[in-house]
Amino acid sequence: MHIDEEELNKALDKPADYGPDLDLSSYLIEPEEAARLDESILKRAYDVGIDLSRKDSAGNFLQVDHSVMVKAIQKRFENDVEVMTIDEAMGKYDWVKGLMWNLISPYKDKYTAFVAKNRRGGYFIRVLEGRRVYIPVQACLLLYSPHIMQALHNLIIAEDGTEAHIITGCTHHTKSVKGLHLGMTEIYVKRNAKLSFTMVHKWGPGMDVRPRTGILVEEGGTMFYNYVLLGEVGSIQTYPAVTLLGDNSRISMNNVVYLSGSSNADLGGGVAIKGSGSRAELLTNSVVTDRAKLVSRGSIVSEAPGTKGHISCKGLMLSDSAEISAVPLLTSKNADSELTHEAAIGKIAEEQLFYLRSRGFRLDEAESLLVRGFLDISSMKLPKHVERSINTIIEQTMKGF
Amino acid sequence: MLKIERLYVTVGERLVLSDVNLEIDEGEVHVLFGPNGSGKSSLVMTILGHPSYKVISGRIIFKGIDITEMPTEERIKLGIAATLQHPPKLQGIMLKDLLNRISDGRLRDDGLLRLIDKLRINEDLLNRHVNVGFSGGEIKKCELVQVFALNPDLLLFDEPDSGVDIENLELIGRAMSELLAGKSALIITHHGHILRYIKPVRAHIMFNGQIACNGDPEEMLNQISKNGYGWCEKCISMRRS
Repeated sequence: MHIDEEELNKALDKPADYGPDLDLSSYLIEPEEAARLDESILKRAYDVGIDLSRKDSAGNFLQVDHSVMVKAIQKRFENDVEVMTIDEAMGKYDWVKGLMWNLISPYKDKYTAFVAKNRRGGYFIRVLEGRRVYIPVQACLLLYSPHIMQALHNLIIAEDGTEAHIITGCTHHTKSVKGLHLGMTEIYVKRNAKLSFTMVHKWGPGMDVRPRTGILVEEGGTMFYNYVLLGEVGSIQTYPAVTLLGDNSRISMNNVVYLSGSSNADLGGGVAIKGSGSRAELLTNSVVTDRAKLVSRGSIVSEAPGTKGHISCKGLMLSDSAEISAVPLLTSKNADSELTHEAAIGKIAEEQLFYLRSRGFRLDEAESLLVRGFLDISSMKLPKHVERSINTIIEQTMKGF
Repeated sequence: MLKIERLYVTVGERLVLSDVNLEIDEGEVHVLFGPNGSGKSSLVMTILGHPSYKVISGRIIFKGIDITEMPTEERIKLGIAATLQHPPKLQGIMLKDLLNRISDGRLRDDGLLRLIDKLRINEDLLNRHVNVGFSGGEIKKCELVQVFALNPDLLLFDEPDSGVDIENLELIGRAMSELLAGKSALIITHHGHILRYIKPVRAHIMFNGQIACNGDPEEMLNQISKNGYGWCEKCISMRRS
């Protein structure tokens, strides 16, 4: 897509629609300290579900600040999937440029404009036509140097008739106490492709996060978009925009959130259903504690016949100083479209607590079991080992609870 | 084993139990009949120590210990367990995991496995979230197996036969009767169907929050089946006048 420099410069000052406004000049573009790939980095990747030592992943990608440190494809998947840096991909294929800034507008806000002007890295993952890659491709994006600002652009393409899992983990190294993660991700799910994309985020109180995601699903395509956010974060705001362009296409967006400390999160997603017979579901289960604030948004706009859309926002409040807002929005432009939503926010139900106590559990054990149950990820339909590792991360995050 | 003395209980402003007296000795199985809303479930909730059920007077003694004010989980540790009539759904908690925790990791325990098998609780049900989308029969079986995992000395069954089809009734009845060997129990039943499989030594009828009548289980069930609870009501009011 052609980018108008003047318009881009104007957008550099434009705050985002949602979430607290950030001053980009308070972060550093160049790292003060160059990272080296060592145990501590592998450990942090592991903390967000990315085990780079695994032999049974189809491919691996690790970017620390701006440097790509791991980029590998297992030999037996070389004809199935491509994993490279976005710059390599742009050099290799002349069509790559045309797919960038196609699903996300560079003029949307200061964060998109900044990345459009200052892109530093990002991954390119492409599943080749008709290939089924049953074991996941893993990608980890890590902030290392203090006050660093990561400005990535990722591109994922699931070609016609493919099937694949991508697991990404984003976090910061203990060295960086303050930082900003800007990640643009454009995802193309082509005809009859089935893509499962799972992202695990774990940040710290000084970290700000502004991902921008655009997803396009073609005819017969299915996208599972799973997002797990755990622990404390300075501020995070994200709102993936999905277009179900093709007939009989489908998106299932599944957010599981446990927010603590003084986190400020504005999460959600919007789906435009344009293809007939297409279906969208946006599900969020969130737990907030301490002074954490969460806005959970969901929007479905249906323009085609025979379509269905459902939004579910469920929130569990563990503290009187925490706050949850659920903002579901349904818009129908076609009479033959069935759109529904449910939202429920409250504390742990007394009847459930009593039930578990009547089975011998102490009050605190009952509470933690119920909270843990609320953060259930079985509906994400992940490969078993991925489900296990994410469950372990959830349990570790909740240890203090 | 269990001794309830002059028990008065309120829920909010409402008096749900008044002057309830009941004694169950070691190894005895009793049955409690009564129309809907008479206070049968309230008695179970009170014995378990549900926070909404406030004992305003009277005592509950279990194994010689006054448990009237004891937290629920401590009563369970002492050896009480109950199947509930309307247990809540536990989203995100698999039956298998819950059983494992209740039995302290003894899910592989022979007895528990045998019961799971006997009740025809299959792998699919074990992998489902507790009570979520369960049928009437599945709920009862799930309650039964949890209670078994606790290995209690006193069992309370709140309507184990309501909303259960004939086939499951037989499974549940046979499992219960095996479970009850040598234990004390109170079985609450509106219709008494479960008594095809279990023979209690004593029966009680609850009316308006009171135990109005005590007697032989078979005789009482015959009267209730023949004449309904309306007959009991007349009998009680006659006795009172």
